[in-house]
Amino acid sequence: MLRNPVRMTTFTGDRDVREAYAAHSGELYGFATRSLGDAGLAEEAVQETFVRAWRAGERFDPEIGSLRTWLFAILRNVVIDLGRARAVRPGVAEGGIEPTVEPFEEALSAWQIEEAMRRIGDDHRRVIFETYYRGRPYAEVAEELGVPEGTVKSRVYYGLRALRVVLEEMGYDD
Amino acid sequence: MTTDNCREWRASLGAYALGQLSEDERVALEAHLEGCPECRAEAESLRSVARLMPLADPARIVEPAPRPPAELRERIETVIGAERTTERKRRRRQRFGFAFGGVAAAAAAAVLAIVVFSGGGGGGRAPEQQVAFGHLPQGIQIEASLRPHAFGTEIKMYVSGVRSGTLCRVFLRGADGRRYPAGSFRYRWGDDTEAVLSSALDLSRARAIGIRAGGRTFVAPVSRGGTTASVSQLNQEDPT
Repeated sequence: MLRNPVRMTTFTGDRDVREAYAAHSGELYGFATRSLGDAGLAEEAVQETFVRAWRAGERFDPEIGSLRTWLFAILRNVVIDLGRARAVRPGVAEGGIEPTVEPFEEALSAWQIEEAMRRIGDDHRRVIFETYYRGRPYAEVAEELGVPEGTVKSRVYYGLRALRVVLEEMGYDD
Repeated sequence: MTTDNCREWRASLGAYALGQLSEDERVALEAHLEGCPECRAEAESLRSVARLMPLADPARIVEPAPRPPAELRERIETVIGAERTTERKRRRRQRFGFAFGGVAAAAAAAVLAIVVFSGGGGGGRAPEQQVAFGHLPQGIQIEASLRPHAFGTEIKMYVSGVRSGTLCRVFLRGADGRRYPAGSFRYRWGDDTEAVLSSALDLSRARAIGIRAGGRTFVAPVSRGGTTASVSQLNQEDPT
């Protein structure tokens, strides 16, 4: 009898780590960069996330949630730990203000919508960006694009639908 | 049910969710929503997306998403690989019940520690003899445990540090000096399990256990009984 029988879960082997990295490192890194505001710290966070995930690999249960959700949950803890480590520098925040979960959730939502915006089609992104983020009138955008105003309006509609689909794929749950 | 009428209203739902409709348009649309559950549901769903939108930093939307540096993956694999090795050693140490630090440190002295478990908790099972191969080349680790059976000897082998895919042939050397083959296995990188083998030679008649891997043969003496013994030995034989 083998002392260490083949583990039945799916996040213990090297191939699992490699596949998970290929599938999710971009997102994890993108979010970590945004959340920590530093590329070096983001690398550290992603590395720590995969190492912790590997260590806890036996506890990963695909029945409970996706690998992506699990990795983000780990990254969340890593980011909070890194944030806490930064906050204890002398001279900062006397009385030790604990980093709360709110800024994390907010940062995650912000990153998700930014990432979703990047992923939708150019036509959709353009009209939402111009009319919403730059606050330009529909008529002006329509003229610039050489399309009727009604087209801009319907692109905004389909653009929002596309965002919804991407957000769902990313696991966003309102 | 979605009607043609709805289709016209739908095109406005995006602008509505983003608060971009004029007052007149908004009032008219809301009158439609009042009586149309489908459009109302769609409007609500788009609104939940729209609620996130103020959180975004527009400058970040137009920037390409940052990509992790190419070497990050290798770094992660290195860290995990190192931790796997440490963890495996720790587990072995626990299981084999002696300190490997000692073996590593004593490599130069070519001292081999052998522990014979007295079979505690074995519930009548024959005692298992743990054998560690000392004085191994840097990075290579070989351990074995032997258990007597009526059929001969059960052998569990653990190897690490050799090239993945290396064929490992195991044998016991009997009191008569002959080699008794105990089968073979392949070492696979990352595989944490022990190979389970057997030999027809009775454990009481075994004097040494050997493994030939990657063109080299490593041999460790098998205790004839008793408790912990330290045996100086030359563990590398000429390849045969």
